[in-house]
Formats: sequence, C-alpha cells, structure tokens
Amino acid sequence: METDFEKLKSIVSKFEHLELMEIPGLDDRLNRLNVQLNSAGFDRWGLHPETLRKLAPIMYLLYKKYFRVEATGLENVPDGRVLYIGNHGGQIPLDAMMAGLALLLESEPPRIARAMVERWVPTVPFVSSLFTRIGAMIGDPNNCRDLLMHDQSVMVFPEGVRGSGKLFKDRYQLQRFGTGFMRLALETNTPIIPVAIIGTEETYPSIFNFEKLAKLIGSPYFPVTPFFPLLGPLGLIPLPSKVTIRFGKPIYFEGLENESEDKIREKVQVVKDTLQKEINIGLELRGEKIFTGAGK
Amino acid sequence: MNTVSNKKKKILITGASSAIARLVAGALSPKYELVGVDPRPSPSNSHFPGEFIVADYHGRKLDEVFQKYQFDSVMHLGRIRESQNYSSQYRFQMNVIGTQKLLELCKQNAVKNLIVLSTYHVYGAHRLNALQLTEESPLRASQSFPELVDAVELDHAATTFMWRNREVRTTVLRPANVIGKHIRNTICSLLRSGVCPKIFGFDPLMQFIDEKDLARALILALEQPISGVFNVAGEGLIAYAHAIDHANAVTIPLPPFITAGFVRLIAELSKMNLPPYLMEFFKYPTVINDDLFREKFGYQPKVKTVQSLKNLGTPVERKKLTTDINSDESV
Repeated sequence: METDFEKLKSIVSKFEHLELMEIPGLDDRLNRLNVQLNSAGFDRWGLHPETLRKLAPIMYLLYKKYFRVEATGLENVPDGRVLYIGNHGGQIPLDAMMAGLALLLESEPPRIARAMVERWVPTVPFVSSLFTRIGAMIGDPNNCRDLLMHDQSVMVFPEGVRGSGKLFKDRYQLQRFGTGFMRLALETNTPIIPVAIIGTEETYPSIFNFEKLAKLIGSPYFPVTPFFPLLGPLGLIPLPSKVTIRFGKPIYFEGLENESEDKIREKVQVVKDTLQKEINIGLELRGEKIFTGAGK
Repeated sequence: MNTVSNKKKKILITGASSAIARLVAGALSPKYELVGVDPRPSPSNSHFPGEFIVADYHGRKLDEVFQKYQFDSVMHLGRIRESQNYSSQYRFQMNVIGTQKLLELCKQNAVKNLIVLSTYHVYGAHRLNALQLTEESPLRASQSFPELVDAVELDHAATTFMWRNREVRTTVLRPANVIGKHIRNTICSLLRSGVCPKIFGFDPLMQFIDEKDLARALILALEQPISGVFNVAGEGLIAYAHAIDHANAVTIPLPPFITAGFVRLIAELSKMNLPPYLMEFFKYPTVINDDLFREKFGYQPKVKTVQSLKNLGTPVERKKLTTDINSDESV
C-alpha cells in the first residue's frame, strides 16, 4: 500500500515538471491535530495521519497550483467541536477536500474536519478506504454524534447528492437541505460555521444526468459534461477554476433535538440563508472571471 | 484444604477445549471449582484445571452434570464457528438447540450468573454500518449470510433469556476478531498462514482483541454483578492490509465481484477455511464500540494490537498453553 503512494507521487511529479512541493511545517501541523492514535497509527474513526502525510503533497499541488485556493475567515472558527456546513457541487467532493486542506494547512491551530460522505461511497473501490484514512465516513447520524461527543469537528453538506449531482445551470443555488445536522447540533450543543465554497461547482459542468446508467452502476447520478464521457479519461480532468472558500461566523442555536420538524426546518433555513448570502458575496467578488477572479 | 475447596463456588465452562476457555479456566482455577464440557475431546497439549466431560450441549448428559454439581455460574464459551469440519446442521444443533437447552438448565437449577460469549459477526458487514456499532445497532448478519444464522440465533436466545429471567444475572459479550497465538479461528489461521485473501480495491477497518484481553473481559463479566449485552474490542482500529503487514503475511488480491461459489472453490482447492461471508468483512468495515463495557466494568485492553498481530506465530509452532493472562508481554 505504501508503494502505491510512492508510485502515484512519482507519476505526478513526472507529469508536472514542477517538483512536488514541500509543505512548510506539515509534520508539525499533523502532530498538533486533536487526534488520539493507537499502536497501529489509526484513530477511533479510522483516520490515519501517515496516509494524510503521504497524500498531502499531491493534494497540496491541487490546492496551491491548480485551484489556487484562497481561504478567508479561518479566524472565525472557535475552539472545540464545530459543524461546518458547506455548499456541495461539482460531482466529486473536491469542495470537501479543499475546505479540509484549508483547515489543516492554514488555520491556527491546525484542524481536521471529518467529512460525512454519501452512503454509496463504501462500495467504490479504493475511494472507500482512501476516504476513511483521511477522516471521512458515511453520513450516519451515529457517526456524527460520536464525533461531536468526542469534541471532533464534522463537515456536512446538507444538500447531499442533490448538491453534488446538480447540473451546471443550478450552480450555487442551494438545493433542499437535510435537517439531521441541526438536530445533532442542538443535541451536542455545537456551533455551526457556514462554509461557502466558490469555484468547485464549475469544475465538472454537468449538462445532463444520465439517470438510467447511474442506476445500472449503482451510483446516485451519472454526469454528462461537454468533455465527459466524450473525451474519455481526459474528460475526468476538472476544469481549473479559481477556488475561494469563505468561513463564516459561528451560529449558535438553542433548543431541543426532538423539536417538531417544522421548528427544526426554521433553524435550518437560517443556516441555509446565511450560507447562500456568503456564497453570493463570494460570487460577486469573483465576478465573471471564473478561472482568474480574485476572492478577497 | 478440603474444607476450603468445599466452599469454592462451582462454575461450568462450555467449549472447554477451546483456547479461550483454557485461558479463563487457568485464571479462575485457584478461586473456583471448575467443570468443563465440550463435544470435542480435551486437547493433548493442555490440561483442564477441573473435571472435563465430553458431551453435546443438547444431550441428556448435561442434565446429569447440572444435577451433580450445583453450579453458581455458567460460562457459555462453546459457540461452534463456521468451518469445514462441521456441517451447518450440526452447528445449528449445538449453537441454537444446545444453547436453548443450556439456558433452560440454568433457569431450572437456579444458576446465579450466566456469561455468554457471542461474536461481533452478528452485526454483519454492510456498507450502511455506522463506524461505531453500539449494542443497539441492528444485527444484519442473518440478512445476507445464511452461514451466520446460528450465531445470530445464539445471541438472540441469550439476550431474550436475559430479559425474561432476571433472577439469572446474564451478560452477553460480543467480541471483535479474537487473535492470539493459541487461537485457531479463521482469521488467525489466515494471518498465520502467510497468505491472506484481500478484495482488490477494498481495505476495511478491522478490530482485533487479544486472547488475553478477552479472557480478562470474561472474568470481569463473571465477577461483577452487572447484566446486559456488551461489545468488547481491543486497543483500536487497524486497516486489514496493515494487519496483514504486521502479521508478516502477503495478500492475494481477489476480484471485487467475487461470488460465494468461487470462494468455496478457492477454499476447496487451497484447503483454507474461507467462509463466503468473510468476503463481506473484507469489504465493509464492522467496527464495534465497546465504550459501555469499558465504562461499566472498568475494562481496559492491555495488549497492543500490533504486538498481538506480530506474535501470532507460524502454523507449525504448536504452543503449550501455559500463558498467564495477567502477564502483559507475549512470549
């Protein structure tokens, strides 16, 4: 398994004539994470910082050179457990990866956000184990509760597959939100940070969802973009849009987790509106320049 | 000495030929009078510290044993696991009918404490499993694997008995993969054999509990007056590929869409004990949460997972069972 990473690393560094970048202070940042490891180097939920350390240079290349991520508002993140609520789009969870990297590499102290992933991810070869090693797990309320109870932070995309599978014409329009995250936030008394991720919704401009084929291969959607599947594997390369991530101010809610669905929905709407506002600010700052726009 | 031994409480241990039963018996023998029952003969490499009776759990012989000794406690460690040596019919007889019989005898003979050793396999390996399965999680095993029906039935019989008969203090333990140099279950045999089948592209999280830790957990369950169903795991999680690495074995990749028939064929050809349900456990994580057991019983695993994987030994090494479960270092 180790040789796989080495191979991947050498392939990537050959491809790009630029050498894989050293990430300043990565080891120190990984050591300072709020995680407890056992003798095998895993934590309670299967996070394996060693894998993270090996993959970091490749992910950093995407983060720094390809998507040129700019993250703002990291100082808004309070100490202790946090629920990050983000907008989802762009077919594959590049948004989660970029927001996670911003928290790991740029926030002080370094943070690890555990992403809640779709329930079909465990059936996908390689992806399933890779995601688990870097801290993701299926979006089961029990997983989320267990993490929050242990003062870990969780990243949720309440749009779910409605978000990640959304078509290009619907970009940055938040789809229906699930409400489970709000009940968990109330139950565990966890502040919510809205995370607006601008840029990742243009990486795979899906013009059509081939539902029948998706059903056949057991995935929730099958995107057809101008380049995929037309150009084959080449079509899998994401478009290099400029990514900006806006971490909003924490929102604190009071109430009971077993309130009626209507009351919970009201609170969820507050989060959704705040997030949409953050997204709109981000979009306005970017303007028309999808690939070059500034984010500040 | 006679007067002392007369005052000793009597304990019946089923599955007395197994390594776990031997470890538990070895630790309990100074304090209790032990009787061991097993349908298999006593293994030659170790001596059961007490009377050893060869008997089936569903036969008449067990009635006589219960009448002869008035047991204070019963430890049912005798679940027969899936293997080529036993037909599913025999396993059903022993695990389901035998357990029912044993539970009935406990009730009739006013046994005070009953400890039942179940398995985490009852949760089944499933893509929808939460990463931390608690005792309340659904038991999905029988849904997909007919080979595990008897294990689920045994667990179910024990928990139902616990709720219906509060006068018998009952504790059911569901341990993670048990490993140790004396254990000869499927996962140990695979890791020890040097070649482990692994499904290409999948590397699920697993948990292992060392034989000594499980023995200690069973004794805690026996000696503390708490009833309930409890998961019990070892030190923590480890990915299957890493476990194979630590056990000094190599992997044989199997295609992801492998069928049960193909697995049986490989098992037949390679003489490996490879039950088809294991393939799902090689694909999806089944991680149990033993916080409740740790909290209520003060349980703390002592053996590091990596250490116990390294100490599995090779198939040719036949070790004499002399381990003291309280010594932390493994020889």
